Amino acid sequence: MTTVAEFKIQYTQILDPSGAAVAPLPQFAQDLGEVLRMYRTMTLVRVFDAKSVNLQRTGQLGTYPSSLGHEAAHVGVGAAMRPEDVLAPVYREFGTQLWRGVSMTEILTYWGGDEMGNDFAVPRQDFAWCVPIATQTLHAAGAAMAFKILKQPRCALAYIGDGGTSEGAFYEAINLAGARALPVVFVIVNNGWAISVPVAAQTGAQTLAQKAVAAGIPGLQVDGNDVFAVREVVADALEAARRGGGPALIEALTYRLSDHTTADDASRYRTGAEVKQAWAIEPLIRIREFLIKGGVWDAAREQALLEECAREVDAAVSEYLAKARPSTDAMFDHLFAALPAHLHEQRLIARKYGSKHSGH
Amino acid sequence: MVEAIALAHGWEMQHDAQVVVIGQDVGANGGVFRATAGLQERFGKDRVQDTPLAEATIAGMSVGMATHGLKPVAEIQFMGFLYPALDQIVNHMSRMRNRTRGRLSCPVVMRMPHGGGIHAPEHHSESTETMLCHIPGIRVVCPSSPARAYGLLLAAIRDPDPVMFLEPVRLYRAVRQEVSDNGQALPLDRCFILREGCDLTVVTWGAMTVETLRAAAELDKRGISAEIIDLATLSPIDIESILESVAKTGRLLIVHEAARNVGVGAEIAALVAEHGLYDLQAPIRRVAGFDTIMPLFKLEHDYIPSVQRIIDAAELTFAD
Amino acid sequence: MSTFRLPDLGEGLAEAEIVEWHVKVGDHVRVDQPMVSVETAKAVVEVPAPFSGVVTALRGAPGDIVPTGAPLIEFDSGTVVGSMPATAAEEFVESVSLGNGRSHGNARGRAVPAARALAKRLGVDLASVQGGGRAGLITLDDVLQHANISATTNFAPAANGASPTPGARAIAAASPADGSVEPLRGVRRAMAQSMSLSRDQVAGSTVCDDADIHAWTQRGDYMLRLIRAMISAWQAEPALNAWYDSVTQSRILVAHIDLAIAVDTPGGLTIPVLRNIEQQSPDELRAAVALQKDAAHRRSTSPADLRDFTLMLSNFGTLAGRYGIPLVVPPAVAILGAGKVRDDAVVVAGVVQAHRRMPLSLSFDHRCITGGEACRYLAAVIADLEKQD
Repeated sequence: MTTVAEFKIQYTQILDPSGAAVAPLPQFAQDLGEVLRMYRTMTLVRVFDAKSVNLQRTGQLGTYPSSLGHEAAHVGVGAAMRPEDVLAPVYREFGTQLWRGVSMTEILTYWGGDEMGNDFAVPRQDFAWCVPIATQTLHAAGAAMAFKILKQPRCALAYIGDGGTSEGAFYEAINLAGARALPVVFVIVNNGWAISVPVAAQTGAQTLAQKAVAAGIPGLQVDGNDVFAVREVVADALEAARRGGGPALIEALTYRLSDHTTADDASRYRTGAEVKQAWAIEPLIRIREFLIKGGVWDAAREQALLEECAREVDAAVSEYLAKARPSTDAMFDHLFAALPAHLHEQRLIARKYGSKHSGH
Repeated sequence: MVEAIALAHGWEMQHDAQVVVIGQDVGANGGVFRATAGLQERFGKDRVQDTPLAEATIAGMSVGMATHGLKPVAEIQFMGFLYPALDQIVNHMSRMRNRTRGRLSCPVVMRMPHGGGIHAPEHHSESTETMLCHIPGIRVVCPSSPARAYGLLLAAIRDPDPVMFLEPVRLYRAVRQEVSDNGQALPLDRCFILREGCDLTVVTWGAMTVETLRAAAELDKRGISAEIIDLATLSPIDIESILESVAKTGRLLIVHEAARNVGVGAEIAALVAEHGLYDLQAPIRRVAGFDTIMPLFKLEHDYIPSVQRIIDAAELTFAD
Repeated sequence: MSTFRLPDLGEGLAEAEIVEWHVKVGDHVRVDQPMVSVETAKAVVEVPAPFSGVVTALRGAPGDIVPTGAPLIEFDSGTVVGSMPATAAEEFVESVSLGNGRSHGNARGRAVPAARALAKRLGVDLASVQGGGRAGLITLDDVLQHANISATTNFAPAANGASPTPGARAIAAASPADGSVEPLRGVRRAMAQSMSLSRDQVAGSTVCDDADIHAWTQRGDYMLRLIRAMISAWQAEPALNAWYDSVTQSRILVAHIDLAIAVDTPGGLTIPVLRNIEQQSPDELRAAVALQKDAAHRRSTSPADLRDFTLMLSNFGTLAGRYGIPLVVPPAVAILGAGKVRDDAVVVAGVVQAHRRMPLSLSFDHRCITGGEACRYLAAVIADLEKQD
């Protein structure tokens, strides 16, 4: 008997939970201004997240998927991408989207029940939130196929959750990407839980990254609470893909500190001890410590940042709440490039009976 | 008809660099029915690509390609293999334009063989257009002749929205017709009057146009002048033309190969009942496939409505 | 003063239970400050303050169930944020409708489908009817009115031979003020036709007798016993299970019995047919009878189940009546009627005893059946009915 194939999964961590560098710092991390920019976005998304949950709790927002605990993974990916690249998100990667230019008002508009929130002013070519699990991975592969055929030096990046890697579409997407060496990077945000089902119940695999092996593409694991590691590993994968080196699958290990969504109660299925442990290594701590050690951060600046973020979030919330309810016509708008005849009649009916309810 | 489909592909790829053809075996093999024959030689492996054997992949990558600068024409080998792709069609392709408020759109054509009658194995002979017609945001088109296949496929590729293009397998090689390769598209959302008549309107589509036209010839001998309408675009339905015909004839018969229950025929009957009831001189009748599993091929012609069934149903509309 | 109402905290939740208040009346609360814990069907959640203000009232205590949308807490609040503004309905002016230039006034009269059917029954030519409905649509009233006018002006009925006589129309025209014209439909209309046929064609004759069913060990199912007796009688005398063709003056003795049973329903008389009764077990027959009775009451008897009977049975005695003169419906040649079962004084071995008896009336078409055949048949029916079981 001979061994015909073997695999190894590399794990990358640059900052440990205390903020100490355990590996050489990448170039971007040597620019404290850039690090501050990343920290600022991570803080903003956390403040925004808490406000969004409160808006839902007070009847001012629909079901909302919190991104609490995912800030490093999300902002790290955002910072690794180029503006011309295309993001295929799942539905909670607000840190990536804020970095790429999606506004908090747009996010609230969508989760407040209005498709207008999907009409990002920037970035125009990114995909919208994707609720049917794993389907977005094929869109990213398709977009990458388009870039390849059109000879555009761009990459697509698809997110997927740990639960999503059980879906057929995910395997189909990495398989296609591998078979055609597409410029696409898949990032698994492994936060431990697919609603109430833990990763161990989703797969017999030791890592999710090794699912790449069957697709013939590199599989890498990264500390998803370490924004430096995420940015570095994803940026490298994107650059390789951009140069024709083909796709990669990156598993970012993090933890969902929140409920799955505001319609969920995680205390029903996981222990407080587990959550407490996760809080000890949450992603904001180590980058804050890194900045403090770098001499550019202190409690006063932290307080000022929190207040600044709160003001920014409040402004977005006010803008969101002041938005007019969408017109009844909206469901007919953009259904087709030109509305077919029979829908004119249905639109008249909708106009006659719609818009009678105030509020949302 | 299959050559007409290949011609339409060729014309549009020649004239629009955004058009790409994807599917299983569409490349070197030219498609299992030869509908993409010769295209890869002409346009290269980038623009005519074999995909992995995965229908969700075909539909999902079409979404990604269409939203980012291409116009994919995707082939599904048989309609019975479409179902893994439905998630992508229902949840993304059909609604991309609407949910992004026009920011992204999906100019995709998904072609697939439709119906039975060629002694194919199990799962190869179904007519499940009703499922597709129920999805908002897409068009469903089914040509019934080589010329209409050519003109409607061009129109489908040029349409800025997703089109499901159902190709009746019985007609792929059974019907021969001179088609001029002139790049002329036919209108979508319109039906075609294949035969004018004054006593009875018969609405049908796809391969059933053959049996229906035969039935019309026989009915003519019996003194019944049937107007035969090829629906062609199954969604949205060109109800205006049907109502106009029914206003003239006062009688309506709908013929389709697909199962009757909640079929497209039911929608047509409902629309005529809503908008044309007072023009009717007799109850609307339907001749359709049975609400059974499409049998294996020894019985497929017992399933597909026969000329005699159509004649009998037509005569029944004169029984009152 | 602002009222904060309990929002839907999950997806379509109708209510929540108050677990714990974190504020009390008089407290100054700041926006987003935890206010109350509530438990819904999906989760225990903290509801934060939607705005800053002074609490003036708590609506509910821990343990109380609060419906979604009900007041939860009152504030004395300056600015109110968080009430989503409602938009006014837009005005629109547009005229889109189906009807691609098609003409509503086509040459053939447009008529309500029911009016079309009525016109055909009354022999009214729709082309001569002035439609009084929208855009000249001919309605039921138009057809009825036209029929009256036609009757008095002796308007020629359509030449299809099926039109009623002017006299019949005159009756409809002169309907009394407290009556209403009801064109016969469905089974009532079928009865009118088949009884007219019977009157016009059959040479009917009726013979009556009683079956002494005193020996029955149990009350029994009259219908099933009658069916069995008719099968038994057919074996003794096959002549009554036949069709008579008056054109060729020939009779067809049928080798099986398709028995029509009269079922009275609010909608009219329905006579469904039980096929091949001579081959069926009592259980099968019982089920078939139940099925057909049920179908008749639901008006769902299939047309195929109303055709081609060879014999007919009317068990009218379940309602009332001792003897009757049942009418034979051609081409069948006989019908058996069963009257109300009652106790009779009968003489048994010279002694008067009370016995249950079933009166029987057998009508037959004397063109085809002799009196002897009819009486032999009736005797065989009685003989079978008088068996113990």
